[in-house]
Amino acid sequence: MEDEELKIAVYWGCKIPATQYAYEMSVRQVLPRLGVELIDLKGTSCCGGPVRSINNLASMYLSARIMALSSKTTGEGLLVPCNECHFMLTETKHRIDNDEETYEQIGKLLSEEGLEYSTDLKIWHVVDLLHDVVKVETVKSTVMKPLEGFRFAVHPGCQIIRPSEIGRVDNPENPKKLDALVKALGAETVDYTEKLDCCGAALMYSHEEAALSLAGSKLKALQAYGADGFVDTCPYCHTMYDAKQEAAAATVGGKLSVSVFYYTQLLGIALGIEQKKLGLHLNQSNDPRKFNL
Amino acid sequence: MTLTDLMTMAKSNEELQKKIRNQLWNTHPDECYQCMRCTSGCTSLKLLELKPHEITILVNAGFIEELVSSDIIWTCTSCLKCRERCPQKASPYNTIMALRNLAVEQEAKIPEKYMKVVAQILETGMAEQAQIVTSKDMQSFNREKLGLPEIQQADDKFKAIFMKILGG
Ligand code: SF4
Ligand code: SF4
Repeated sequence: MEDEELKIAVYWGCKIPATQYAYEMSVRQVLPRLGVELIDLKGTSCCGGPVRSINNLASMYLSARIMALSSKTTGEGLLVPCNECHFMLTETKHRIDNDEETYEQIGKLLSEEGLEYSTDLKIWHVVDLLHDVVKVETVKSTVMKPLEGFRFAVHPGCQIIRPSEIGRVDNPENPKKLDALVKALGAETVDYTEKLDCCGAALMYSHEEAALSLAGSKLKALQAYGADGFVDTCPYCHTMYDAKQEAAAATVGGKLSVSVFYYTQLLGIALGIEQKKLGLHLNQSNDPRKFNL
Repeated sequence: MTLTDLMTMAKSNEELQKKIRNQLWNTHPDECYQCMRCTSGCTSLKLLELKPHEITILVNAGFIEELVSSDIIWTCTSCLKCRERCPQKASPYNTIMALRNLAVEQEAKIPEKYMKVVAQILETGMAEQAQIVTSKDMQSFNREKLGLPEIQQADDKFKAIFMKILGG
């Protein structure tokens, strides 16, 4: 799709526009350069992620509301860069599209606000949008400053790869797309046993210590592989590994100094975009600028 | 305890079981054959002793009230591994979410942060409010300073609908 522009709506969720500015900045920087124009949704609300534990119907309504807002735009689909939001929307879509009763129930609720649910919405995440639509080859050929000599460990996260029955971004047990996208930048990726381990973010609501310890153990294991950095694509995972790295280190007894990046930040660097525009200065873990990328 | 007591108890459990099943839609705890594949890969097994196969069998045996008032249902990280790997489409993850909903309905003790986040959504539509962040070299930034557009919040119509659903 090198020459045609793709217009796509984008739903940032709650976490990205509230604190994870680097993800938003870097996505806004890199996608237009790869032929993807973003349309911001107006009047959005939470995807329902944390609400699912409280009231399932309310959480489905919240997800469906975002999809209905997206259908009102001229976008050819909806980009959802947060793993949790991406799961909530896809899970809700799967149920609405296959369960008549829920379809009716949600339709009624949405109509009270003059909104309508449409079944033909396509939902994308940054990973599959780049890998499957923009294509790895295009990413590769757009790179101006290859990240040669660097080895990164990728963290696919849980919620964009499972459960496969609702249609996910990558293989649930052997995800490779993020690896391919990192390699397209000229860097190498590390194979490691803990690749599928969960960041623990959802436990921050109830068992903070355990949550931090899950994040900490993964980084601790990873340090032994001698990777130059850690790459993720979710604001929740990123917060655990980046901003909370010090607190996580305290729970696993040891020092952690792993540089954590959003994939779109690395991509931006390789495309020759100024680091400040990619929010590199906002990363809290071991100063990424030391890379002199 | 008389036999009548026991029978009324059994009945109430049946009702609760039905509530769980109604929410579950396409996952089926009653199909579980205790292979323990879920538990062997559970993220919360080691640290918090969550055993999803046990949750499943307890639900099937009708021990719903015990589960609803227990902290164990709040130890799941939503990693979805059990949902993916269960050969019987029993998905302990979904069962746990249904049990949490029931805990809220029955006014059992639930982690405070969950109620806070719901209150936040009722107030602003979002689970989190935009914050000022600090860079490594101790400079402060907000959205505007970073060149990010203003957030356009949802209006009150949405809040009324959301509130109505929560109220049942
Ligand atoms: S994996 Fe499924 S069938 Fe096996 S014990 Fe767990 S819930 Fe039961
Ligand atoms: S979703 Fe919850 S119960 Fe299932 S494997 Fe993950 S932590 Fe365990």
